Amino acid sequence: MTVERGEVVRVERVVKDFRPGFGLRRKRVLHGVTFQVDRGEIFGFVGPNGAGKTTTLKILMGLIRPTEGSASILGRDVAESEFRDQIGFLPENPYFYPFLSAREILDFYARLCGVDSRRRAARIDELLEVVNLSYAADARLRTYSKGMLQRVGVAQALINDPEVVFFDEPMSGLDPIGRKEIRDVILSLRAAGKTVFMTTHILHDVEMICDRVAIIVKGAIRHQGCIEDYLLNSTVSTDIVLSQLSSETAVSLEENFSVEMRGLGERVELTVPEKRVRDVLEAALTSGAQVVSVTPHRSSLEEVFLNAVQDEEGSV
Amino acid sequence: MNSLMRIQALAVNTFREAIRNKLLYTLLGFGILMIGSGVLLATLSYVEVDEILQDIGMGAIRFFSAGIAIFIGIGLIHDEVDRRTIFTILSKPVSRTEFLVGKWAGLTFTVWLQLGLMALAFGIVSWMAGAPLGADHAVAIALIGLELMLLVAIATLFSAFTTPMLAALFCVGLWMIGHFSRDLRALGEQSDLESVSTMADFIFRVMPDFEVFNKTLEAVHGLPILASEIWMAIVYALGYTICTLLLGSMIFSRRDFK
Repeated sequence: MTVERGEVVRVERVVKDFRPGFGLRRKRVLHGVTFQVDRGEIFGFVGPNGAGKTTTLKILMGLIRPTEGSASILGRDVAESEFRDQIGFLPENPYFYPFLSAREILDFYARLCGVDSRRRAARIDELLEVVNLSYAADARLRTYSKGMLQRVGVAQALINDPEVVFFDEPMSGLDPIGRKEIRDVILSLRAAGKTVFMTTHILHDVEMICDRVAIIVKGAIRHQGCIEDYLLNSTVSTDIVLSQLSSETAVSLEENFSVEMRGLGERVELTVPEKRVRDVLEAALTSGAQVVSVTPHRSSLEEVFLNAVQDEEGSV
Repeated sequence: MNSLMRIQALAVNTFREAIRNKLLYTLLGFGILMIGSGVLLATLSYVEVDEILQDIGMGAIRFFSAGIAIFIGIGLIHDEVDRRTIFTILSKPVSRTEFLVGKWAGLTFTVWLQLGLMALAFGIVSWMAGAPLGADHAVAIALIGLELMLLVAIATLFSAFTTPMLAALFCVGLWMIGHFSRDLRALGEQSDLESVSTMADFIFRVMPDFEVFNKTLEAVHGLPILASEIWMAIVYALGYTICTLLLGSMIFSRRDFK
């Protein structure tokens, strides 16, 4: 398999059949999946539940073998194990030996990755700091919350300072603070020149941090492209929440700027076309109203995603 | 070198997990109780008191150690898959063969350690009862250690592709056949039907012969244990264990982890 310049992950026409039960009948869960991930990018692999995201990821991790097609990471066939000291993997809802502490489990994974014994302790301390678990480093994992286990999962994925990191639903089960921390870790990986592959069904996360995205529905890639393309082509509207808005100003805004208006108790929410946001804000502030929030809405990726899912459902 | 380091890390972790298994302490406790109870049972006889005491002790060591090897071994791989801990391990530069060997080595070390504790109990009970203790007893117990090594490999093999329940049935069945296959062949040879004797001979040749490791009679009754028998047992245990692990590795390498 030839590796193109800058290409880190390549999946070519991958088909996967499973045999449910003991019968001879096979169920096809991946239908010729093809995509590639370039060096230094954050690649979002998006799809609804049961679309084949985790199956694809497991093929990349060598946990299941493709029925047809090929997959490679850093130019090496995924069936090999030696090159895996250059990759990291966080599975969905990771589970670890409950009798070990975070420090011990990271030491275990570091040994498996062949991390030099002189660097091991320092690397573990560094990662515990990164995932904000230093305070609980020596507590048994059985006492950890789901969010803490997820952070241990992130730390173990990075223990070997990998070139490519694979995250399966990294924000799953995390509170807003935890999600932000994981997002920051992913962004810092890109800043350090690493490549990140993440599966998710949360489009907001994809829009915030991914460079490119592939949408998989029922085992087939429906769309792939740069996130910028989706966002530039998007229909943008903005929700503005105002307080202390007089009824005269409200009528004036509605008539002059063609905004949609909804009452929220003492506050008013306006949906404003992108080009009129500045004018609406100026008019509102001049009239003495106070701005509570301004939230831009880019619905393009969501639309593409929903259309892909609906098209597929309609074709069945 | 890296491969050995990975196997060692897996083995140490398996050991740390196994020593937290309550089944280990339950069977170890029963084993030691049985060894101790030999003192009481031996008083029921007027002759060969020491031999009865040590026969019961050795039997308890073999039986309960095998129980530990089988009933912890059957979950060795299955539990890793079931709990999905295997996902993060195999995403590291760990081959499936290394994983299997690491798990086997960790549990083998665990059962050897508990064998040492049972042997200590056996020694203390024999010493307190005034029964003779010699190098032959140590050799007989060391041979049990080889038997356990092979038994753990068989449990690992079955754990690599089937459920703990089925693995337990296969392991217990093999262990029992392995101790009776010589008798089975002897019975077959006496049969008038050629198919029966052929079948009995086939079972003897294909199934592991655990009686190779049974030198209890010689140790307890002061009979000589030949060096050739010891070497035979060592070669047999190593050969069979390697073949079993290779087969396990071949099967395990083809498995999908859904």
